[in-house]
Amino acid sequence: MNIKREDIIHLAALSNFRLDEKEIDSLGRDLQDIIKYISQLDKLDTDNIEPTYQVIEMENVWRDDEILPQEADREALLALTKEAKDNQIKVPKVL
Amino acid sequence: MKYIPTIGVECHVQLRTKTKLFSEVDNDARGKEPNSCVSPVDYALPGMLPRLNGEAIKLAILAGRAMNCEINALSRFDRKHYFYPDSPKGYQITQFYHPIIGAGYVELPSGTKVRIEHAHLEGDAGKLTHFDTYSLVDLNRVDTPLIEIVSMPDIHSAKDVHDYCKELWRLMCYAGVTYGDLYNGNMRFDVNISLAPEGSKELGTRAEIKNLNSFRSAERAAEFEIKRQTKILESGEKVKQETRGWSDATGKTSPQRSKEEAKDYRYMPEPDIPPINLSKDFIDKESAKLPLMPKDYRKKFNKTISADILEVLLDYPELMKKLGEVEEKHTKNISNLFSSVLLAEEKSAEYLNDLPSAKDLNELAEMNEKKELSSTSTKEVFLRLFDPQMKTHGAKQIAKELGLIQENDLGALEKIVDIVLAKPETQKAQADFKAGEEKVIGFLVGQVMKESHGKANPSAVQEILRKKLA
Repeated sequence: MNIKREDIIHLAALSNFRLDEKEIDSLGRDLQDIIKYISQLDKLDTDNIEPTYQVIEMENVWRDDEILPQEADREALLALTKEAKDNQIKVPKVL
Repeated sequence: MKYIPTIGVECHVQLRTKTKLFSEVDNDARGKEPNSCVSPVDYALPGMLPRLNGEAIKLAILAGRAMNCEINALSRFDRKHYFYPDSPKGYQITQFYHPIIGAGYVELPSGTKVRIEHAHLEGDAGKLTHFDTYSLVDLNRVDTPLIEIVSMPDIHSAKDVHDYCKELWRLMCYAGVTYGDLYNGNMRFDVNISLAPEGSKELGTRAEIKNLNSFRSAERAAEFEIKRQTKILESGEKVKQETRGWSDATGKTSPQRSKEEAKDYRYMPEPDIPPINLSKDFIDKESAKLPLMPKDYRKKFNKTISADILEVLLDYPELMKKLGEVEEKHTKNISNLFSSVLLAEEKSAEYLNDLPSAKDLNELAEMNEKKELSSTSTKEVFLRLFDPQMKTHGAKQIAKELGLIQENDLGALEKIVDIVLAKPETQKAQADFKAGEEKVIGFLVGQVMKESHGKANPSAVQEILRKKLA
């Protein structure tokens, strides 16, 4: 698989990253290398093998439907945001 | 050329769990301050681990059974990636590949069947409020459990869109999986519509109208969209595949601003949440908890309650449940009180939260049927049964306290009639009646009622009067 410039621009847009021209090329090369490395796995015969959805073999890990007090309150959580207003997180206008 | 609309509906239902789908935080944020029902999990802080709410699985089973759906023993969660401030995680946890609810169908009151493709569990997104230069984010709604119900494109009219949405709402309310509060967005509908020439095997290009929050909006939006697309096709142009928004105020759909590029959610299995693997016993045990559904009530009451009254009452699951508890011989009487008295009351919504006991309702119907209570008095006692102070006294006692019990003892009534007939002021009326003036009987009955302080049974009084004056 060949990573094209458009792929990098598309991926950046999906994650809302702003990249300059140089970064597009260098990230493209990095990603190409990563994919090449991972592609070695394609040589394995995986017919009739269930995909590995997870590596811990657990099932049905549920909790009871009971409200528990949280250690972090609203103030602590809002303090982590760049800007808050009226107890809400303020972000640049979206849409 | 005639064009036939083909319509599918996606519906999001908020589940009435106490806590969110993946954190132990209060799920009911109605009337609460922004960001007061949030945890580090909702904020997606590094190292957070979502933990699945078992109750949501049980409710999903009930919801599925209410729609005659298969419950899939094995289901999993997936990450649906998108970048938007309503989701701090950067992805929504949903069930893309292996949903918990499989195929089924919903039958509309008209008999039309709409097949369900599947339904899956997922977390809701936060709420954004937009201002001139910025937007504010409230994360209270993040990971409220939802089930998304995806129908097959089996609907072909705006009216059936309405009926399908309404029937879904009823099913979810009767199953007890949601509060069903449409005003607060507990159920939201997306309607996919395309038009194709009659007889054509291929479907046309579809438009998706998103985020409709009432049956009526869904119906009106479908109506508008059918007209809009017909006009486009008749003029020889092509319908654009797009997402459109609906405005109740203008009664129109309009294209929603969206990014040009195609959707690319990069789904992947959610590694934080181990798969759900349900035993047949567990599914059967939970399915057995499904209460009576609208179709069961239609069957149960088809002989005692007329179909049009029943369809009105079916909008109130608590009422139907109560009717089911009332003795069968009284259901007609009580259903009439519910439909003609209760639902006409201004405070009916409030009343519905605290219905009288089946015992009181049985007593009331019994008194009415034995003619101890006139129909007017029956209505009066019925309304008192909603009065928090009065209701504890019970139906019989209330009727006594208000002096509404009718005198049916013929001997006692006859005595009262004799007293009235002996009064000088009734002599003229008696003579007039004997001379053939039929309508003065009303005056005489009135006099007896007055003498009995309103407790006499008027039809019995009239009978006695007629006998005496014959």
